[in-house]
Order: sequence, then structure tokens, then C-alpha cells
Amino acid sequence: MNVLKALMTRRRFLQVSGAAGVAGAGAAKLVGFTAATSTPKTAGAQARGQTRVTKNICHQCPARCGINVYTTNGRVHAIYGDPGNPIANGKLCPKGHLGTYFLYDPDRFKGPMRRTNPRKGRNEDPGWEPITWEQAYDEIAGRINELRKNGESHKFAHFYGRGWGPSDAGLYGAWGQLIGTPNSAIGHASMCAEGSKRAKAATDGNNSYNAYDYRNTNCMLIFGAGFLEAFRPYNKIMQDWGHMRSKSPKTRVTTIDVRMNPTMAASDRYLMTKPGTDGAIALAIAHLMLTEGLWEKDFVGDFRDGRNRFRAGQTVRAFEFEEKWTHGLVDWWNNELKDRTPSWAESVTGVPAREIIEVAREFGTTRPAMAIMERGPTAHTNGVYNGMAIHALNALSGCMFAKGGLFYQMGPSYGPGPANPADYMDDIANEMRGKYPRIDMARTERWPFTAHMMQESARNHNAGDPYKLKMAMFFSTNPIWTAPDAPEWEKMLSEIFVIDTSPFPGETAMFADIVLPESTYLERLQDSPTYPFEGWPMTALRVPAIDPIYDTTEFGNMMIEIGKRIEGPTGEYYRRIDSVENLLRHIARGFADNPGDNGVNDFESWKEKGVWYRKPYHWRQHRGVFYEWDGEGYNRVMSEEEVKEKLIKTASGKFEFKSSHLEGHADYIQRELGIPSARVGYPQWVEPKHTGGNRPLHFVTPKTPLTAEGRSGNIPHAIAIQQPIVGGNDRTYLEVHPQTARDRGIRDGDRVRIRSDLGTIEAYVRFVPQHRPDTIVLPYEHGHWAQGRWATGQGRDRTPGNPNEITANVSDPISGLACYYTGKVDLERA
Amino acid sequence: MAKWGMVIDLDKCTGCQACTTACGMENNTLPGENWQDVLFYSEGEYPSGQMKWLPRPCMQCEDPSCVHVCPTRATYKDMNAGGIVFVDWNKCIGCKYCMIACPYGVRFYADEKPLVEPDLKNIFPGENGQLWSPPYQGPDEDWRRGIGVQPKGVVSKCTFCYHRVSKAPEGVADLDEDDPELVEFVPACVRTCPPKARYFGDLDNPQSNVNRLIGNKRGVRLRDETGNRPQVYYLGAGAGVPAFQRRERS
Repeated sequence: MNVLKALMTRRRFLQVSGAAGVAGAGAAKLVGFTAATSTPKTAGAQARGQTRVTKNICHQCPARCGINVYTTNGRVHAIYGDPGNPIANGKLCPKGHLGTYFLYDPDRFKGPMRRTNPRKGRNEDPGWEPITWEQAYDEIAGRINELRKNGESHKFAHFYGRGWGPSDAGLYGAWGQLIGTPNSAIGHASMCAEGSKRAKAATDGNNSYNAYDYRNTNCMLIFGAGFLEAFRPYNKIMQDWGHMRSKSPKTRVTTIDVRMNPTMAASDRYLMTKPGTDGAIALAIAHLMLTEGLWEKDFVGDFRDGRNRFRAGQTVRAFEFEEKWTHGLVDWWNNELKDRTPSWAESVTGVPAREIIEVAREFGTTRPAMAIMERGPTAHTNGVYNGMAIHALNALSGCMFAKGGLFYQMGPSYGPGPANPADYMDDIANEMRGKYPRIDMARTERWPFTAHMMQESARNHNAGDPYKLKMAMFFSTNPIWTAPDAPEWEKMLSEIFVIDTSPFPGETAMFADIVLPESTYLERLQDSPTYPFEGWPMTALRVPAIDPIYDTTEFGNMMIEIGKRIEGPTGEYYRRIDSVENLLRHIARGFADNPGDNGVNDFESWKEKGVWYRKPYHWRQHRGVFYEWDGEGYNRVMSEEEVKEKLIKTASGKFEFKSSHLEGHADYIQRELGIPSARVGYPQWVEPKHTGGNRPLHFVTPKTPLTAEGRSGNIPHAIAIQQPIVGGNDRTYLEVHPQTARDRGIRDGDRVRIRSDLGTIEAYVRFVPQHRPDTIVLPYEHGHWAQGRWATGQGRDRTPGNPNEITANVSDPISGLACYYTGKVDLERA
Repeated sequence: MAKWGMVIDLDKCTGCQACTTACGMENNTLPGENWQDVLFYSEGEYPSGQMKWLPRPCMQCEDPSCVHVCPTRATYKDMNAGGIVFVDWNKCIGCKYCMIACPYGVRFYADEKPLVEPDLKNIFPGENGQLWSPPYQGPDEDWRRGIGVQPKGVVSKCTFCYHRVSKAPEGVADLDEDDPELVEFVPACVRTCPPKARYFGDLDNPQSNVNRLIGNKRGVRLRDETGNRPQVYYLGAGAGVPAFQRRERS
């Protein structure tokens, strides 16, 4: 029957289409679509029209892969990695290709809008009315001018997620200075991965993510980094993976994580540890490297007589050991490490001691060997100490700044901007400087080690401590959904004037008073210095593939246009900045004296090539000697002072196993974590404080390779392959060990409730016998209730629910990193 | 004429699915219509469980089951196109015999209930006879070879990106994406594969890199017992399809 019907349809179709055959060129009608339509054609193998390739940078993770965007007859139809971009090398991860869909996402906002419904809530229709950009800018600037007149400019806050460079997030500094607010801007870093940055600040003095030389390493320990799923730059990591796993010698990889995942599966060996205990395994590895004499003596130093005196449980006399580029090894051993045996680690982690010993011996006897980590070990109350223990392995293996090791990212050679904000300060700006703390209380005595504490903002506002905000502008962030205890933000955003700038609908927009839709990345002009990558400086450029298809612009232009409308010299400053393009033309002048390896020396050549970069990295440590690049090779030996100034930026100028950085706030750490102040400096085992009290199950919410900066929940093609490992092709599923489920009467496929102290969310269960029975896993994507028709379709807004609604707002007191993975929950059939 | 073949090294593949999305956007397929899919399998139990995956394009068999069963000769093996198996959408009646006959499950019929709702076919309704008309569709179309967006009621499948491959210079042994002269002719899945787990070249040329890899690394064809003789070879550990496991219902 169906066959006949199809046949009929085909015949009828052929009759209708006639000799001209098929004209498949038509496209769906989109309101506001301005691109040229394509011409009809006959059924042949002809391509339609001329194809143009423009340079851009992917927007779907922080990595900044260069992309070639293919446009034919005004339609973007393909994205491939840019072969001339050193991260992409012609390749892309699975997210990158979906960018064409982002551009034509039918749920996009079409132009600026004002809310007409004064009530705000999840179920309140904002009642959008279209307005002009002039109206929007005038209203926003008018409100800011009013705040400034009333001495309340601190009650305006910017919140941002993915900042790219001087032409967007780089504008915040001057804004805060000139407008007079400490809240420009509250970044998302404390809800991202600050723990690893602080662990590095505490040990080697660099408050930064690392650059890595994966291609030359021969041994890797991967602690909870989602290396083959969500680490960045994911695309380049996979390129290097292909190399590492087929070179001679093949890089040996051990993955330590809390759940079965592709990284584990692709590794040579995996250790499945209990959430929050990665540091115990790292300490045991360090212990064994010392007792068996496997540390790198050229970097760390050695006993004066060459005889190893590190024996489990026994102290060592400090004078017997002469350290080279590390500080405090014997103190660390005597006060912490001597008791951190593999058997001890087994008792904490559940990982057999013999497996830890195998890993330690392999790591200790292979060079170069690196230990990497990210949010897994650090999103716990003991996160920085876990991270320090892991990073200490990089000192013991001697891979800091070495070939096949870790180093830090250099910045690009930019020229100055069009104006210096210090020349445009008025009385208000001068008076407000330093007068009020930030709304999130970062950088105050409440959070002395932090730079941003976005997750504290709503709680502080709601409590009126230190004050209440009146106005907030959001750029590429959505804490009303992503912050721990997300519903706190619904209260705050109901009370204040909210501006959202996302190109797409989202939960923030639902609570916004004005929406200024940004262009999608394929329509933007925007620069972007690289995220930590291979160390040498690089900066890429987004060049619009086509004019915006709707009434949208760059976020940077929004800030500049609002700034022009601020009374006094501030307005003059922004008239000097003029536009994103003008700003970029200015900073690109810095390339003239410092042309890139690909010949980029000005704005026009930057647009053409899409990226400026200059190899090599300037420094290298080799067998305990630091060298600086002299133009031809790593030939110039560096002094201890130079190493301290440029590379190991601790008080001692050495890699510190006894952290002066942490000892600087010893009382704070003793108060918050209960560690005696004399001990706070050591990488050490600290019991994680799990939220959820005595509930039986750990609850973790990892990102999959398809998690595209919070947008995949509304991208049909991403939804269809979001979680393939358990058949998640229409939503994400809760992964549960079968025994854990059966104990609760739960069958494979059942709908369940996950309960924490904060409430419950629902999900469908998939059995995964490879997981730990005490840990349940819900990949982080769905549960969006206002992100678009696919995000809410088929119940993806409720089942699964938003895990952040049941994630307690608890942070590591040192890093300030929100403890997303430390919650304990109950599980029951729904 | 070349005999086009693909080699997939499972020791390098990370299961990232970039091949799947590159294919989907290059060929304008619907969600779930994964001409190039990655299948995931798991076995065993904590703490010794394993997870593995298998990327799966059309095998472009030398003796394809689908061609044997097609009642309208819509599906055919084109020896003048490197041995690629095509569906002529002007002849296909959507009977799905080929989908049942294919031992590899790499044929698709996208007219039915969509995997992900709302249905994109309604959001971007078909024009000029297309099943749907996404605004980002590519410029190439050739219904005699199943290239472009299909009409209603037909089966679709991987074409080895013939609209790209066919433009390659005559006589080239391998289409290597790292060669700037050739990158635009490389199939989307091969071109984008980040760990370079995929290779594409001429199986009739003993000098080609694909043949060297098959020779050096003991390349295998999936389900060779069927006699289909795929033009896709796998290298590395785990090159096999685990037996189907029924989902447990306790």
C-alpha cells in the first residue's frame, strides 16, 4: 500500500516537474531573510553559483578553531576547519559543522525587543514588542545616566560567559572604570574550571590554564578532564591523539575518572575512582615515585649522597636533600606524603593499590610524562588540594616547561586601542572608584583567592548583602539556568532591569526587559586571542560570511553605542572607540612590527588569513636548565631570577610543594577547611564535603562532545547524537549501574526522580554496568525550559530536568569553583 | 577508473562523531538520517567494563546485496564512478527492500516519524520536489546518484561524497585532505576526522596509501562472510561488530 502510494507520488511528481526535471534550489521562507535566492536548475550534477570562502572562528567551545565558511549565492552551506589555522589544521570536532544550522536556527531572535508584561516568571509571556536599536540604546543609557546621577552606578552589573577578546569582553574594564561600577564584569570562571588555575597558582605561580606539548609526550595521566569529550582545544587534542597513539613510542595513557567514558575506553588503562578522591591517587603516585627513586633528579634535585632515604612512614632530614627547581619537597614528604601509600589510597578511593603502583611505575619511568586535570577533580570542596597533588606530579616528572610537557600561554602583539579610558574619567567615575565591593564579593576577604564568583551574585542580591543591583546586562551567559541553585537567579532577575544579548531564546531572555540580539558568529567581526594552546602567541579573527540575516549586531558595538549615550566624557571616549571595526583596525597595527608567521601584518591581511601567530614558544627547560629562544634555538641559559620573572612566578621562584601563595591566607584556609595553618601549603589529602548529607549516591553531570556552549539543547542534529553511548538520540539519559537500579525497583528505561536537599528532577534511566554502583551520571544538556522549540520538544525540558536545580551552591573556598560534581542524591522510581 | 576505498583506523578513532555531523551538513540529511554513523557498544561490568565504538559509512560493496534486491534497479553500483553504490531517486519507489537486504544497516528512509521533534521537514518545508528544504543546503544536486536533498518516498545513503570525489584529478592514488590541491575533493567524513583515523584512495592502485595501510596493518572488512566484499576496510583492535544485545528489561 505504502509502496504504491510512494510510486504514485513519484509518477505524479515526475509529471509535474516535467522535462525540466528537478529544481531543488528553493529554500524555506524565513521572515526577514535578505540573502539572494538561488536560480532554478535542471537535474544534473551542476553546482549552483559561485562559492566564496571566508575566515571565522568556531563559537561552540572556548578552543577558537579557525574555520573556512563556504557561501554560495548568499547562503552559508558548509563549514570546515581552516587548514591555515594552527588549532584546526583543516579539522573540526562534531560541533563545528553544525554552525551553519546556528545561523539559520528558526528560533533566533530577529531584532531588538522590549518587554511589555511587567510580571516575570517561567510561565509569563514577556509580551515582546519590536523596537529600534536607537530606542533600545537610549532607554538603557538613560537608566545608566540616572544611576550615575544618584551615586548608584555600582548597581549596574555586566555578566559574561564566553569572552573572546578586546572587541567584546575586553571592553568591560574601561566600562567599569568610566561608568563607575565594580561589576564590570562578573565572569563565569568560578562556574567553569577555576580550580585548576588556582592549583597552578598555588604551586608554580601561574594563575592560568596550561599550554601542553601533547605530541611529544610519552606518558599521560588524565584526571577527570573529559579529554576526548570536552577538554579544549578538543579538535586539536584529537589531532594530537591520533599522533600520540600511532607514533613511536606510542604514548601510554591512563585515565582516572569517576565514570566510564570514551577517554577511559580509548586509554591503555583506567582507574575508576570515587568522586572527589583523585588527589588521593595522585598523592600515592607521588609517594611511590619518591620511595622508588623515580622522580626527575635534574629538575627536583637529589639526596646529597645520591642514596634514596624516602621510606614509607619515615621522615627525612631536610639538609640531606638538595632541591633544584622545587621548594619544600622534604617538608611535604615529612608532613604529608610519607603516609600516602598506595594501600592508603585504596582505602580512600576503592582503586586497588597494585593498580596505583603500576601507574606510578609507568609514569615514573617514562619521560616525558605529564599529568593533566580539569573540572572533575577540582569541582569539590577539596578541589585545589586535589589539583595541587596532581600538578605536583608534573614537577616530579620534570615536565614543567620541557619538551612533551606543560607551559603557559603567551599573548598576541596588539597595538593600543583608539583611546585611553584614564583620560575620560569624570567626577562620578573618580568618586566611585573602589567605593563598593563587587556584588559577588570576589577579591574580598570573603573569597580572598578568587577573581570571579558569579554564582554568589544572585544569593547576595537577594540577601541585599552587600547591596541590591538595579540593572544587569548578560553576554553569552545564562546563570539563571547554569548556576548552582539556579532558581535563586529567577528571584533576582525578577527584581531588576535585565538586558540579554544572546542571538537565541533562553532562560535569561525570558526574564529580560530588553533583548538586544547579537549576530551569530558567522555574521560577526570579532577578534580572539587564543585560549591556552601550545604557548606561542596567536590571535584569530571572525570575518562575517554574510551580512546579518536579521536585525542584529556585535555585542561590542552594543556596548560602544550605549557608551556613546552616557553623559560627560564617557560618551566622548566611546565616540573615539567608534565601533568594533575601528577598534580592531587600531589593535591590528601591532602586527606591523611583529608580522605573523603566515605574513599577517595589518588588518586586511588578518581578515584574509583569519589568524596571526608567531612560533615558537620562547622558553624550554631541558634536564634542569632553562633556556630562552635567541631567534635560532633554545640557546640562552636563563638565570634563576629570569625563570622566576617569566616562568615559575612563585615567591621562591621554584615549583612549591609548600605553597607560599596559600600560606599568605593560612588563617582563612584553617577557618574554611579546618586545616592547621602550618600545613595549608602542602598538596594534601582533604576529605571532600559532599552536599546532600547522608544520601547514598554521587551525582555527576559531565559534558559530552556535542555540548556546544549551552546551545545543543535546541539543535536537532546535536540532540540526535548527543549521548550515543547509551542510545541517547532524542535526549540525555541518566546512566545507572543495574544493581543500584534494581535495589530501588527501577528497570532500564524507567522514569525516575533524583532528589537532593534542594528538590527533585526527573530523568529516564539507562543501565550502564560499567559505572561505579555508587555514582549516577546525567550528561549536561537538557532541561532547558525556554531555549527554543526543540529544547522543550518531546519533554526534553522536564525529563531530564535541569541538574542545576538540585545542585547546592557550594564552592571550594580557595578556588571559588562551584562544586558541581560533589552532590549526593537519592534515586527513586517516578 | 579508480576503485574508491576507505580505510578507518579504530586505534585512532575517538568516537567523536565529527564524521557524522560533517556528513550530515555536507549532504543535508535529517537528524537520525546518519549516512555516516558511529555505533557504541559496551560489555562487562565495573570495574572491568569496556566501551567501544564503530564508525560506519556505506561499505560500497563490490557485490552489494542492495543492488540484487532492488525491484526497479534504482540502486546500482557505478563502476564508472569508482564503484560507488548509488540510489537513482528518479527510479526509487521507497519499497525498502534494500534496507532489509543491507547487512550493514546504512540505508535510510527519512519520510516517517522524525527522531527529533518538532519535525524539521515541517519547519523547512520541501520545495521543488524536495523532502525538505533546509536554507543551508549545499549547491550540489544530482538525483540520479542520490546527491542533494532527496524527494519524498525514496531511500537515501552515503555516496562517498561523489559530488566532491568526482571532481578530483584523474589518476590520483589517494585523496589526502592534507594536500591543499586535493582537500576540496575529499569526502566530508575523511576531510574532517581530527585524529586522522580515515583514509581515502584508489584500491586498484597498489601504490596507494590505502592499500599500503591495508597491507601493513592487516585491514579487515566487516562481515566478510556475507561475500559482499566492502570497499571500506578497518584497521586496529576491535574491528568487528559485536552481537546484537537486547535491552535488558528486568
